[in-house]
Amino acid sequence: MSQLRRVVSILGFAALLLPIGAQAQLREIITKNVSASSSGGTLVLEFADQERLEIQFDRGSVYVDGDLVGSYMVGDDLDVAWRAILSDAMMLENGALAEMLADWTVPAALAAELADAAQEIDRALEAALDDIEIEFSVDDGSVSLSIGDESTVARLVLRSLSRLGFLQDALAGLGDDFRVHVDEDVVIAEGSVFEGTLVVVEGSLRIEGRVEGDVVVVGGSLDIREGGVITGEARIADSRVVRNSGEVGGGVVDLLENDRDFEREVRDRVRDEVRDEVRRDLRNEIWNVTRIDDSFSIMSPFRRVIRGVGGVLEKLLAIFVLGLIGAGFLVFAGDNVDAISETARRAPGRAAAVGFAGTFLLIPVWILGAVALVVSIIGIPVAIAWIPLFPLAAILASVLGYVAVARNTGEWLADSSFPWTGWIRKSNPVFTLFGGLLGLSLAFIAANVISIAPFLGVLSGLLVVVGVIVTFVAMQIGFGAVLLTRAGRKPEYRRYDPDAAWEAAMNVDVDEDIDTSESASNGGVEDDA
Amino acid sequence: MRKFLMIVVVAAAFTPALAEGQNWRTVTMSRQLQNNDEMRVEVEYGAGQLKIRSVDEGLMYRMNLRYDEDRFEPVADFSGDHLTLGIESLGRNRLKGRQSGEMDLELARGVPMRLDLQFGAVQAEIDLGGLALTDLELKTGASESTIDISEPNSEEMRSATFAVGAAEFRIQNLGNLNAERIEVEAGVGSLTLGLDGRWQRDARLSIDMGVGSLVLRVPEGLGIRLQKDSFLTSLDSQGLIKRGDVYESLDFEDADYKVMIDLDAAFGSVAVVWIR
Repeated sequence: MSQLRRVVSILGFAALLLPIGAQAQLREIITKNVSASSSGGTLVLEFADQERLEIQFDRGSVYVDGDLVGSYMVGDDLDVAWRAILSDAMMLENGALAEMLADWTVPAALAAELADAAQEIDRALEAALDDIEIEFSVDDGSVSLSIGDESTVARLVLRSLSRLGFLQDALAGLGDDFRVHVDEDVVIAEGSVFEGTLVVVEGSLRIEGRVEGDVVVVGGSLDIREGGVITGEARIADSRVVRNSGEVGGGVVDLLENDRDFEREVRDRVRDEVRDEVRRDLRNEIWNVTRIDDSFSIMSPFRRVIRGVGGVLEKLLAIFVLGLIGAGFLVFAGDNVDAISETARRAPGRAAAVGFAGTFLLIPVWILGAVALVVSIIGIPVAIAWIPLFPLAAILASVLGYVAVARNTGEWLADSSFPWTGWIRKSNPVFTLFGGLLGLSLAFIAANVISIAPFLGVLSGLLVVVGVIVTFVAMQIGFGAVLLTRAGRKPEYRRYDPDAAWEAAMNVDVDEDIDTSESASNGGVEDDA
Repeated sequence: MRKFLMIVVVAAAFTPALAEGQNWRTVTMSRQLQNNDEMRVEVEYGAGQLKIRSVDEGLMYRMNLRYDEDRFEPVADFSGDHLTLGIESLGRNRLKGRQSGEMDLELARGVPMRLDLQFGAVQAEIDLGGLALTDLELKTGASESTIDISEPNSEEMRSATFAVGAAEFRIQNLGNLNAERIEVEAGVGSLTLGLDGRWQRDARLSIDMGVGSLVLRVPEGLGIRLQKDSFLTSLDSQGLIKRGDVYESLDFEDADYKVMIDLDAAFGSVAVVWIR
């Protein structure tokens, strides 16, 4: 213990042994701004005297108050350590925050280049947070001392009590002959010999020559070059061994190994949790990229084809469903569809105008109707039905009108000389309906097919516009025809009947003639028999 | 919480631009109180989830944000007695199909302040309990908002104004505001005003409502006088008696505190619900 007291007294660790007038405190943090994103993380502190500290990790570079001090890779040990600081800083305020930041030390496991940047951060934090007034006297002991910066010693002593603990552990059981270096880099050059215990605090020690005794490094680094010899132990605390190419008689003793194991265990656990989190996010990402959207993904090369074919299938499915609904209308309300179709055919302009006006008035009528029913109190039960059924009826009317117009379109296509319309048989209303639906959707389908090819986006877009216009017009005509005919119950025009037209032209009654001829024929047979 | 933050902050490094090219940034900002007298606080937030409450710990404010850093930037400015907080847009933004962010704001307890809140399409949970408010102005667009004044206001409030667009808007414990005059302007939507809380003086409540429903939740014992100027608006005046042009609670004259309500409404319904 005696040698420890001497070292401590020389170092100015006088809080323990010597008369000392010292007052140590951390600066008051007035504002903090902590942010983190995928591209990095930033800590900005402002103090009561308007001074400011900004440490920024941004896209692989580390800045302290705008000056580049190092680099990092996303996910490396430095990045993880920095994000751990940020996460703590988000939780803490003023005193507790300052204490956490001031107590932060460079993780021992950091690789050399990362450790340098971390060292800069550590120094910046200490310099910014330090608010110490100190007076101390040092006895001139038999142990030699070298101090790089006295204020550093003061800070070390008064704030980093944990370091003092390390020093106590590191010096236990060693001899009395010390050489102590604080905040200095020390080199035992090749060919030179040092006798005694060499202590380096907050500095790097490089050994190329020979140390006859023990070496203690606290809060620094130890570099034993080839040919370097330490006859005793090399004790390190909160330090790292950069290289061990020489000879250490007593071996390297890491006094914080147990602590580091614990730290590693905690870090591994956090990493496992982060990894699980990342995996979950990646799964979501994979799910996202397989969707059909505009973002980049591994599916990009196939996206056009998938989107194009998918679009075509989507339209065909819509045609199929609409066709089934239309077939239902034809079966159960064929006369109504006939009346609507005929009105749409004979007076498309009028029907479109009525349809457009009807569409425009739909929402006001719905709202005003609901309000009027509610206000009348008695009408409240009706309003309960009105609110959902009115939109439903409007949708039904639109579909009915569209189906009627589609049938007209199908008949027109059947009469046309297009080579691909031969399958549409005019005699079968279901065929004409499906043909018409296909014809009305042709622009959309063509747009989907064209979108598969590169560089034809404009053409595809134009076709979509055409498709939208065709569909809109067809729906307005159909909806108008539905309104004009009261859903086909009040025909405005009779559907063209070729038999009736022929009868009118020939002035004959086909049914009567057939009946007459049939009975005559039958009678004749009977007579013959 | 610390572990959660650690995971959030570390995971941010590994999850670049997950949601349709959005780059999320998580920010925590705070400022210490320094002998501040009455402050004027303005909070602006466009879209997302918004939470506001009071905080001790010697803080003027603490604001946690999560936002798309390509499109927005945080605002935290304090000069003189004027504090401005929120998020502002970097140019024109298209929000459709994008995730919106979050803002969690804590304001100093007990420091007299004039509070001006403006938010757009948000889901807001705001608890003004504990704040020492001298004035309050709240404007919101298409939001789903719940405002609670969970503790009585220690300051006498001059006026409180709530301007609501198309929203589902609910206020609880209006009595705790300690306000002399409360104005509510609502466009379209559902509005619930809870007149509960601790009343410390008589007050005047003006409600100007467009299309929608209004529910007035009134604690028994509070005297209310309702004057209605409406068009096509039904009134469920349960517990009120009509005297001339106004409706009054049964014990209006004997009530310790009285609230005069001026209601101007167009299409919709108004209901008075009594609470014990």
